[in-house]
Amino acid sequence: MQDQDKTNTIDSVSSTIDTSSSVDASRRQFFKQSIAGAFGAAAALNIMPAGIKNMAYAAGSDAPEITEVKIGFIPLTDCAPIVVAAEMGFDKKYGIKIIPAKQASWAAVRDKTMNGELHASHVLYGLIYGVQMGIGGQQKDMKVLMNLDHNGQAITLSSALKDKGVKDGKSLKRVMANENRDFTFANTFPTGTHAMWLNYWLAANGINPVSDIKSIVVPPPQMVANMRIGNMDGYCVGEPWGARAIADKVGFTVTTTQDIWQDHPEKVLGTTAEFVEKNPNTARAMIAAILDACKYIDAIENRAKVAKLISAKAYVNTSEDVIAGRFVGDYDNGNGKKWKDPNYMKFYQDGYVNFPYLSDGMWFLTQHKRWGLLKADPDYLAIANKVNDIKLYTEAASLTGTSIPKSQMRSSKLMDGVVWDGSNPAAYAASFKVKA
Amino acid sequence: MIIDNDLKRIKPLKQSLIDNGFEVVAHLENTVNLEAKCCEIKPDIVIIDTESPSRDTLENICVMSMNDSRPVVMFTHDGDKEKIKIATQAGVSAYVVGDIPSERLIPVIDAAIARFEEFNHLRAELNMANLKLDERKVIERAKGLMMRQRQIDEEEAYTLLRNMAMKKNMKLADLSHQLIEAAKMLIV
Repeated sequence: MQDQDKTNTIDSVSSTIDTSSSVDASRRQFFKQSIAGAFGAAAALNIMPAGIKNMAYAAGSDAPEITEVKIGFIPLTDCAPIVVAAEMGFDKKYGIKIIPAKQASWAAVRDKTMNGELHASHVLYGLIYGVQMGIGGQQKDMKVLMNLDHNGQAITLSSALKDKGVKDGKSLKRVMANENRDFTFANTFPTGTHAMWLNYWLAANGINPVSDIKSIVVPPPQMVANMRIGNMDGYCVGEPWGARAIADKVGFTVTTTQDIWQDHPEKVLGTTAEFVEKNPNTARAMIAAILDACKYIDAIENRAKVAKLISAKAYVNTSEDVIAGRFVGDYDNGNGKKWKDPNYMKFYQDGYVNFPYLSDGMWFLTQHKRWGLLKADPDYLAIANKVNDIKLYTEAASLTGTSIPKSQMRSSKLMDGVVWDGSNPAAYAASFKVKA
Repeated sequence: MIIDNDLKRIKPLKQSLIDNGFEVVAHLENTVNLEAKCCEIKPDIVIIDTESPSRDTLENICVMSMNDSRPVVMFTHDGDKEKIKIATQAGVSAYVVGDIPSERLIPVIDAAIARFEEFNHLRAELNMANLKLDERKVIERAKGLMMRQRQIDEEEAYTLLRNMAMKKNMKLADLSHQLIEAAKMLIV
């Protein structure tokens, strides 16, 4: 009897557990039915909200081939579109689930994107073109699905240089001429964006980045630590690692990248041509979800919330304050100048940020050529046409109500007054006095 | 040159490289000043964990050395895709930064893959052992709970749990876990 009793009690405990799960099941059933009901009614009344319509779109012949997509990112402020798309549910609207996957290096981003371990990545614009051209590794056909952000990177010089009176490129050149030693500058990847911004800025100030300095690569989160121990004189990297150098009093911002090229392209959503070929619907859904996220981040009132979200350990892993200031244009160069920058990091601007302009893609090729990473002029336009998936982007933009520009090229005047508009790239690449 | 902060993994790799007639010129536990150390030590090959943030530093050294027409590969030069996959899965990446013919490269990579895999295997076993230990702890706690609640001895409690688990077609550890969770809610 006693034994019987014991068993009963255990039974009742486990049946409590069972019951709870069957409550869940019936609740799910209830939700399913009511959602189905609401669907039917809304459809019948023709009051389907846009999101649901897109779900219907996703459920049709354009249904994503893969619904769970792993997107790589590096801990930087501009990984925000990937994180926001996943964390705030913009992905669901297009029938996919984005899983942000933090990576330790751009090399890992490249390798894992190339071998399919990552479906796509938050990646340096120039890196995608580097892989397309087989610079420093295996060649693979790549795709730029969209640009993720404009502006918001910076060049930092050490406090030691500041103490010697360096405040801009000219004074840097002077100090370099007077000191008989190697000057070391760090960027983030040989074919990447930061290497190109740093090179452009040095060259515009009469310093040849190939012969006058020693150029090294340091992982972004380690930039500040490396500068602190005196390993380098300057570096170019994405925020928050410029602001962090100032907070930690190891350096100052000598220039922002928006002052090198206002509204320059920066990170892209990149993947392989093979992935897009096999999964065009998933790729389109990714672009649409991330466009929605970009739209959300670009609203200035949402920025504080996004800064807090991405500062978490799983993402950028730094204090919220270090991200938040420059994220809304509040700049302090750490050398006595504070200003409100209208050209802070932008993510949307009704698609101006995101459109994969052919001229943007070609620009990186012209710089790869300029600095000797490419030995000969490639067919600039043909390659940009192949890499930048304007067709898919345009379809995704229509899903999100994002404007498409009239031209696939745009015209920009860079810091040295030279205009780049995508016409005659070979002549542009050859036009620079300072080169490899 | 080997870069790794895991000494357990590195010791056997070092040995096997030496056995294969290679010289391990350096083992760096951290990557501060990696660029300078590469210039100073001038290794032919650098072996590094795929997940190391310092891989980008090596990428740069490789790209920059392109001008000296030295082999520039991520060991993917020969395009042996299967091997690349195995290596990445094991967590090995290697950079050729010096003068070395590619046929000499293969045994290095093979040795690295073998050691890394062995290490991963050991780590998996350790995780499994920890898991088992955790399971035992849970069962012990559930047993204790039963003994306290029902004033029975250990063996009775165990028999009761085991019979329940069999009846419910559950793992003993899972049932114990559920019991503990339920107890947390019901017995405050």
